[in-house]
Amino acid sequence: MKTVDIVERIEGEAKLVCQWDKKKISDVKIQFLNFRGFEFILKDKPILDALVYTPRICGICGQAHLKATVEALENIYKNHNEELTLTNKAKLLREIGLNIEIIDSHIKWFYMFIMPDIVKFSQNSLDEYSPLKGKKWLESSSVASETIKSLAIIGGQWPHTSYMIPGGVISDPTLLDLVSMQNYMDQAIRFYEDSLVGIELDNYLDFKKSEDLYKVKGDLKDFITISFENEFEKIGKSYNRQLVLGDSLSFEKGKVNRKLIKNIDYENIEELSINSFDIDKSKVSKEAYTWSKTALYANNFYETGPLARAVVQNRSFVSDVHKHYKDSMFTRVLARMDELGFLLHKTKQLIKQIDINEESYIKPKVSLSDFKYGVGQGSVEACRGSLYHDVEIENGKISKYDVITPTVWNLGPGVDGKLSTSQKAIVGSDSLEKAKLILRSFDVCSVCTTH
Amino acid sequence: MNSKIKKPKIVWLQAITCNGNTHSLLSANANRLKLFLDSFDLVYHPSLTTDILLDDLLEKEEEIDFLLVEGAITSNKEFFQISDQTTSEVLKKLVLKSKYLIAVGSCASYGGVHKKFEQNSDIFGLEEALDKKDISSLVHPIVNLTGCPVHPEWILQTLFSLKEYKQMPLDEKGRPKEIYSYLAHHGCTRNEYFEWKVEAKSFGLKEGCLFYGQGCRGPMTHSNCNKILWNDVNTKTRAGMPCIGCTEFDFPRNNMLETKKNIGIPDEVPLGVSKRAYLSLAGVAKTFKIDRLNEKIIK
Repeated sequence: MKTVDIVERIEGEAKLVCQWDKKKISDVKIQFLNFRGFEFILKDKPILDALVYTPRICGICGQAHLKATVEALENIYKNHNEELTLTNKAKLLREIGLNIEIIDSHIKWFYMFIMPDIVKFSQNSLDEYSPLKGKKWLESSSVASETIKSLAIIGGQWPHTSYMIPGGVISDPTLLDLVSMQNYMDQAIRFYEDSLVGIELDNYLDFKKSEDLYKVKGDLKDFITISFENEFEKIGKSYNRQLVLGDSLSFEKGKVNRKLIKNIDYENIEELSINSFDIDKSKVSKEAYTWSKTALYANNFYETGPLARAVVQNRSFVSDVHKHYKDSMFTRVLARMDELGFLLHKTKQLIKQIDINEESYIKPKVSLSDFKYGVGQGSVEACRGSLYHDVEIENGKISKYDVITPTVWNLGPGVDGKLSTSQKAIVGSDSLEKAKLILRSFDVCSVCTTH
Repeated sequence: MNSKIKKPKIVWLQAITCNGNTHSLLSANANRLKLFLDSFDLVYHPSLTTDILLDDLLEKEEEIDFLLVEGAITSNKEFFQISDQTTSEVLKKLVLKSKYLIAVGSCASYGGVHKKFEQNSDIFGLEEALDKKDISSLVHPIVNLTGCPVHPEWILQTLFSLKEYKQMPLDEKGRPKEIYSYLAHHGCTRNEYFEWKVEAKSFGLKEGCLFYGQGCRGPMTHSNCNKILWNDVNTKTRAGMPCIGCTEFDFPRNNMLETKKNIGIPDEVPLGVSKRAYLSLAGVAKTFKIDRLNEKIIK
């Protein structure tokens, strides 16, 4: 038996094509059928215009694209031995902005994109989670819109600001601006404490063991209860390989393939299009079924995202939950909500570290258009995982731009008989509803996938 | 809220988009968003509602009061499809059920960023994507809410205004006059620097006007950003990022983060001002060296 379903509420849509055998999914194809051609759009554009274009790849993680672009462009300077000076303040303001965007996204994802589906598995009726009407939906949207104000203070607006540029950032916040940002973070922390986990953030962050799951109250407890009632800790398991490409004050790069290795080499990243469409039809294979490409690291599929970040960084609570329940759907969702608490705490600290007397921006001594040719890479941790940009410039123009998004790592098509991370997670499911939940647990961004 | 009064039905369609307008709406002032959700019936939004899918909606006979479209339209199915159909097919079916059609954002209005994907030559804004017969059920000209993204308040003000007054005056590009007669420049906290022609010495400063070096198009761009503020707190130009003219039909342009100059003078001068008038004024203003405007604001 074959079923074809359209999945919405994943920043666009995807088609889930399942093969069934003895009431279980025996094979699955995830099709992303929309292509917007950003890599083609960027070709021949003036170099700095990439800072305006790439945030517009995605309405929810635009700042991650912006940071990846600015770091790829700065990497071109480095490759020319023209090291830029970047003040600590500029570095902090960039990372704080990105973190705020992740915080905003995690709040919205839990309440708008996954809980409405999770509660359908509950024995109780949990109307508070109903989209647009439920108390919890409304409260989360209110908190998200308050939280993102702190990014608008340094970026001017959200979505779609280009406040990071090679050499620093464009804004120069006052101390009072920083205090307002702290206030917005505090409001979000209150929400985390009062609504999401039902205990104080400091106490939550002290959790070390999976038994601590029972201390969680609030809305996350609803998720935990429903999960154990429905054995979500047993479904959605994949290769249990984790990858973090981006390095920052908040996250550490590294990979786990049985053991943890902190050394990451971009040379090991490979992007394939064996099962992907191409605008050059002569290159399209018979097997092609999606616009998403395939991303491999050292020839292997990896999972990227909050679970990978927690495990690579060895944050004790999630690491212990992971030890018990592996890379299950349950662990994946829990890791994302745990990261929300972690980032709220971390981002507040980072705001505190800013010295307003430092420069926001130091003009590069040479302009990128002075280089006849250059290449650069940038990798950051976005809401959904590792985002990688690879740019090539020639005579003041972009000659090539390649983007590998987190959803490509997680949901790209398998190759050479090997299932991709999400395919492996879905195969074996005994219902379509569960398969869709597993898909959703990766926090899919359809628009990013096929940029 | 009296639940007996029938709330106007809204359908939100996503075509070729980054979903930035959806996330802009979700970032609206929370009280305003709540009032909006109480006052209208958002029947379908692909990212927000769960009760019905697009297919169900297309089969329904029900009339739609406000059809909001986010993203550009194409009839090319190889590059883009929603629910197995082209965005153009879906749009046309929905428009025929609708009274008002609103383009949410620059992509829906004119094609925007997505129109730059030249390998698909079939990408348009709503007006260009629809024929006269397609829009026969509409009771009002198409409303273009431009911006990349659109400001959430523009969506809310437009919907509440059409609900109350049934119509709103539009400019020659189909944009509500009350929003787009202003310039992004109006209300910018850097205005005094503009008046006295004091340039921002670089990015990353509170001081100086971004029009002279950083490419700011505030004086040439129709929008009231600096009147209503973004996320209730700020704007790009106030923060230090040049206006990139994202509400105009020619967005995105080239070299958006630098000012094209001719013998040291910006190539384009503020809207409606003659180059001669601008040069004379700039020349005079520059002869005054005003210390206060060349120092840090906070010393």
